[in-house]
Amino acid sequence: MAIVKMYKVSIIALEQDKPEILQALMNIGVMDITDMSDKAMSEEWAGILNVENPEDRLSKLEEYIEKTKTALSYLSLYDNSKKTLFETKRKIDENTYREIIENQEKLWAVVEEINRMDEKLKELKSEENRNENLINSLIPWSSAEIPLDLTNTRNTTVMYGVIPASEDINRIISDIERDIQECWINIINSDKEQTYLQIITHNSRLEELNNYLRQNGFNKVNFDLKGTVKENIEKFTDNIKKINEEREKLKDKIIKYLDKKNELEVLYDHLNIQHDKIGMVRRLVKTNKVFMLEGWIPSHSVNAFKDYFSKINAECALEIREPEKDEEYPVLLENNRFVQPFEVVTELYSMPKTSEFDPNPYLAPFFFMFFGLMLGDAGYGIMLSLVTAFIIYKYKPEGTMGKMMRLMFWCGISTTFWGAMFGGWFGDIVDKVTSGRVKINPIWFNPMDDPMKLLVWSFIFGGVHLYTAMGLNAYKLIREGKILDAIYDVGFWYVLLTGLVLLLAGGTAAVVGKYMTIIGAVLLVLTQGRNEKNIIKRLGKGILSLYNATSFVSDVLSYSRLLALGLSTGIIASVINTMGTLFGLSIPGIIVLLIVFVIGHGFNILINILGAFVHSSRLQYVEFFGKFYEGGGKAYKPFKINTKYIDIIDRRKM
Amino acid sequence: MQSLLDLLQYLLDGRFLALLGASFAVIFAGIGSAKAVGMVGEVVAGVVTEEPDKFGKAILLQALPGTQGIYGLIIAFLILFRIGLITGDLKELTTVQGLLFFAASLPIAIVGYKSAIAQGKTAAAGVGIVAKRPNEQAKAVTMAAMVETYAVLALLASVIMVFRISV
Repeated sequence: MAIVKMYKVSIIALEQDKPEILQALMNIGVMDITDMSDKAMSEEWAGILNVENPEDRLSKLEEYIEKTKTALSYLSLYDNSKKTLFETKRKIDENTYREIIENQEKLWAVVEEINRMDEKLKELKSEENRNENLINSLIPWSSAEIPLDLTNTRNTTVMYGVIPASEDINRIISDIERDIQECWINIINSDKEQTYLQIITHNSRLEELNNYLRQNGFNKVNFDLKGTVKENIEKFTDNIKKINEEREKLKDKIIKYLDKKNELEVLYDHLNIQHDKIGMVRRLVKTNKVFMLEGWIPSHSVNAFKDYFSKINAECALEIREPEKDEEYPVLLENNRFVQPFEVVTELYSMPKTSEFDPNPYLAPFFFMFFGLMLGDAGYGIMLSLVTAFIIYKYKPEGTMGKMMRLMFWCGISTTFWGAMFGGWFGDIVDKVTSGRVKINPIWFNPMDDPMKLLVWSFIFGGVHLYTAMGLNAYKLIREGKILDAIYDVGFWYVLLTGLVLLLAGGTAAVVGKYMTIIGAVLLVLTQGRNEKNIIKRLGKGILSLYNATSFVSDVLSYSRLLALGLSTGIIASVINTMGTLFGLSIPGIIVLLIVFVIGHGFNILINILGAFVHSSRLQYVEFFGKFYEGGGKAYKPFKINTKYIDIIDRRKM
Repeated sequence: MQSLLDLLQYLLDGRFLALLGASFAVIFAGIGSAKAVGMVGEVVAGVVTEEPDKFGKAILLQALPGTQGIYGLIIAFLILFRIGLITGDLKELTTVQGLLFFAASLPIAIVGYKSAIAQGKTAAAGVGIVAKRPNEQAKAVTMAAMVETYAVLALLASVIMVFRISV
């Protein structure tokens, strides 16, 4: 239950064996390879060491990966077989894998073909857009009946244009009728923004008309089209239809390749593995003939690593040693089955440094409890646990997603527990449905009846959380050998704060509390300024430090969210139940109840899971971690075979 | 004159004042959340245009400032429950009781409104974090949750007041 100790591995070998050694490291999949390229840049080594940068090969591979990805995305788009939320990796034996890779030529033909179709589809899409835009721009003009290419006769000119709706069109028409006369204006259409005009005028008045129109915001519209507006719209609609037919044909062609999807997935993963492997050389340093790599392996894989390495067919100098004191190494956490899912909370914040201890065992019980208190409904808890258990069983999600699901499973159990304590089973549904004849009594008490009681308990839970955090701070100081600091900065605060709490509690405890407060305060005044040389400054700083008691109070008040969020879940659940039972228990009433129940509680569960997660995390990050935790460690990322679709069985012989 | 006095009497009716309080809680906390969620949504839309994969992470931030609206509803519902509107028999309330309910709604109405918008701004900035460094999402969420604290405190103040007003 802690940070796993890592051993440092250094390998020096011949340049010619590099591919084989990298392949071996990838197959073992336990080594986090350190980036040494900085070393080659340093003055000491400049000119001796250099770093290989296979940019050409990588960009070539990236191009291939991109193409394969495009092909795969079309195939999965048109693949109608059932899709699941969490894709599980397909198991594939090593011979099949090799066979597919050896015959990749014919797969490339498919990839290229689909990429060509992709180009074609993109062209079709832009062609479709062009036609649609044309149609949209023509629709307002659809009642114009003169062919658009008829722009003039011997003596007249035909023109089209728009005038902003802000101009008074009646005034303009009467102006023109009065002043220009030899002119015919037809209002074709008008909408909120503009008025669409068709104007026919005698050529002799053209210039005068143009001048007038220009002053009134007229904007000429030129159509570069033949035939009437309606004909054109029909033509473009027809074009779109053809485009769609074309697209369907292409789609049918792509669908023919669906049987190649599985093989393409293998190819995709293969390319990515190659890319990872070739990319890794950028972390190594080399001279002309030899190369060197360094990295970290977890202590439990040292033997297996040595074993495997002794069998490979390459000469190399291998050194495995323990980390030096204060040497930072990649962080891998190891915890029991209950604590492990909670690692995700810390991972989202920051990994611990190597010199720190793993906070997860201490964080887990509090997160577990706070989440349950905030969601606080047994019905919701059971739903949450059942759904996550099903997902874990059926899809076996890995990595962060897997941890998250298991975290939610545990949180569901906590929620169920607190829900039963507070008597919340989908709010008060039983009570509401039976009109109060049957009541599920809370095991402890109902916070809706006595919110103050839960508020006080929230503060008590918060106090325990904060005391634990301070204790961990003391533990950290002691680990660093600062025992006196632990006593001064944590022990004395314990005395003062406990005294204050007892003082508040009243009775005989208050007497003890009074003395503890005084003793604690005096001790703090004497010790908190210990870094100052000047005695007055030292006491001054000590007195000022007492002000920190307020920050403790505000920290405690922060836990009132345990009550507030718990209540809000319960109240909303109760609103939903009230709405659901409004129509009584007749048959339509029951249908309404079912609909409201499913939608309402579904929504309430989701929004409150989010709230409970965010706020339990916040209590950990701000109140808990703030007291002792630094973080900033680098997560352990072994160099291994990373695949998206397939799992290669017996990778050692690959 | 007489009708003006009547109107004044209605305005000072305890039930009216209590309902006004309930309405205030929903209206202002709701407007605040709506504005804030909208604000974050615009930024999320921008990010999703470029990187559709980040939708899941970004949408979480958009949901955060939505809670104030819910808190407003909670207080409104509690007031309605206390004055008997939910169960069907509206109780007679004195002007003082009405004013007390109104006063109880103010924390969540005002703090809910302002904190939602402030949280919206923080969350919108947090979407930027998610866009550039998706692994740092938890930090963006925590920052937004810091703002929410004050909405939670206001909710708590309102809840306790509404619970404790005697009718």
